[in-house]
Amino acid sequence: MYEALSALGSVVLDPYLLFLIFATTIIGIVIGVLPGLGATTGAALLLPFTLTMDPVHAIAVLATIYVSATFAGSITAILINTPGTSAAAATTFDGFPLAQRGEAGRALGIAVIASTFGGIVSVIVLCFAAPLLARVAYEFRPPEYFALTIFGLSMLASISSGGAVKNLIGGVFGVWLSTIGAERVTAIERFMFGNYELYEGLSFVPVMIGLFAMSELLVQSKMANQAVEYIKMKAVQLPSREDYKKIWKTVLRSSGIGTFIGILPAEGATVASMIGYSEAKRWSKNKEEFGKGSIEGIAGAESANNAATGGAMVPTMVLGIPGSGTTAIILVGLMVHGLRPGPYLFNEQVTAVYQIFGSMFVANVMFLLMGLYAAKIFARISLVPAAILWPIVFALSVIGAYALNSSMLDIWIVLIFGVIGFLARRFGFAVAPIAVGLILGKMVEVNLQNSLKIFNGEWWQIFTQPLAVFFLVLAFLGLCGPQLFRLATRGSFETKDGKSN
Amino acid sequence: MIKQQIVPIVLTIVSVVIIYLALQLDLSPPMIVGDSMQPRAFPIFLMALNLFLTAILAYQIFKTPPKKPEPMNRVTWLSMVLMVLFYGLTVSTDMFIAIAVVMFLLSLAWGERRLLVAAANAVLTPFLIFLLFDNVLRIRFPRGILMNWYYG
Repeated sequence: MYEALSALGSVVLDPYLLFLIFATTIIGIVIGVLPGLGATTGAALLLPFTLTMDPVHAIAVLATIYVSATFAGSITAILINTPGTSAAAATTFDGFPLAQRGEAGRALGIAVIASTFGGIVSVIVLCFAAPLLARVAYEFRPPEYFALTIFGLSMLASISSGGAVKNLIGGVFGVWLSTIGAERVTAIERFMFGNYELYEGLSFVPVMIGLFAMSELLVQSKMANQAVEYIKMKAVQLPSREDYKKIWKTVLRSSGIGTFIGILPAEGATVASMIGYSEAKRWSKNKEEFGKGSIEGIAGAESANNAATGGAMVPTMVLGIPGSGTTAIILVGLMVHGLRPGPYLFNEQVTAVYQIFGSMFVANVMFLLMGLYAAKIFARISLVPAAILWPIVFALSVIGAYALNSSMLDIWIVLIFGVIGFLARRFGFAVAPIAVGLILGKMVEVNLQNSLKIFNGEWWQIFTQPLAVFFLVLAFLGLCGPQLFRLATRGSFETKDGKSN
Repeated sequence: MIKQQIVPIVLTIVSVVIIYLALQLDLSPPMIVGDSMQPRAFPIFLMALNLFLTAILAYQIFKTPPKKPEPMNRVTWLSMVLMVLFYGLTVSTDMFIAIAVVMFLLSLAWGERRLLVAAANAVLTPFLIFLLFDNVLRIRFPRGILMNWYYG
């Protein structure tokens, strides 16, 4: 306890870490306001730059990018009706109409305050929930871990973009990618085609850069010459007392919703903001204002999406199961820097873990200050021409991918997965399930193998383990629950003419 | 009909090819595998699962045909061609020359009309990234025309 508290406090006594958080908050906001880039792409591009850093500093950098870019997406959502990140899509519903009415400064002020509150609440929950969950997870054996990873993969079905079946196909493809290389027990080479650089398997970093950054470049290419409507503003306004009275319940509710959704494996800030927004509307006394510039709508979406950042770190650090695309990259960062994600992290690296949590807290305060005093400047960055910005992303992607292993193969992997990611997105598949599948793939196979060894090859014995059954039932409900619910309620939703509603 | 089902068809072909490749993998002696599974078993199970999911997808497409995706525009095609050019230039000249050339052409393909701006971006960006990686991160880049001259 004292060790955790002192680690949290030590963040503010480490000037280099504070400088890194400050600099990364600026970079994160810049990345967040540039349409198309977003937290996931930003984290993928910055990961190679953290290679020589101390593990805590490196993960603090990635976590800061996550929280600041998630917030910054709202700046362009409000000023140019283009969400900088998908998590800010719900902010456009009311942010832009309010800006069009000449209240852009007020809209941004609400967004900054709500985001900061949501972010800080989720970090506090993270500090308490993560060690508790770690204590439970400490008892997990291979059958429980196997069932847990199956649960994590089943949650891919409900990721916002793509359909359930498409997301599951992406997840399975990602798991298959993890089988490339020498098999762990027998050293039999699988799908290597004679390339011994693949012996240890596919490197996560180039696959992530390819799937997120390079594919985004190709997606953005069709919008190369699009013009945007930019709304000018004087300065960001802090919410008035009336505004606070109107939004405090929404902010509290959405912070809770966002944190909870973030904790669910494979759910992220985008889902959180959509639910935060719809719940804000459902509980509001002024429903008619929604869609026309409601400050409750902005607060609901923004507090939920930033609350999801802390929540998503819980399964990432405690169970090694990423809560979103960005946390998938943070998870890779943890592994690259020798911090083994999982419950042991909370026993072996208490100081490092709480310094990372502390950094996230400080990052939330930093973007509050920058959001209030420099949002106007950052908003102008979003007007950088795509023809200049995306070639820079290309250069960062290929050099960054090379830097990790000094391998040319990694560059070709970036390009190949860039095209795969682009084609997948073109046909309605999301790329995050592929990334999550790749990360979880090894865990699934290794824990299945170990479970089989424990039970002398009798796989059905997995169902004799209560916790494993619990996770498998959750996975089943996650996959089939919506269909079962629809079947069960078909009668009650039918209209008078017999048609289902 | 076939055009609508192109995604399930491609997925089926990929899954079948992977199953075929998995069946070609060596079998490990039972002594090593023990009560666990052969290295080929897991990929085959995954692809069987993928075939099942693909069948559901094909049925969904049959029931509710999706909107036809817009044809890829010229800029997207050009961007992909430039990636191939990047490969060719990297192999034949130098990675940084390839990056600079591709960045310059990418800028023009994306609609940049100011040649000087595009050229400055194409030269300065890789140069600055190189300085950072070489001096701060101590990364050695692959040898080529420029790197041979730089490293000596």
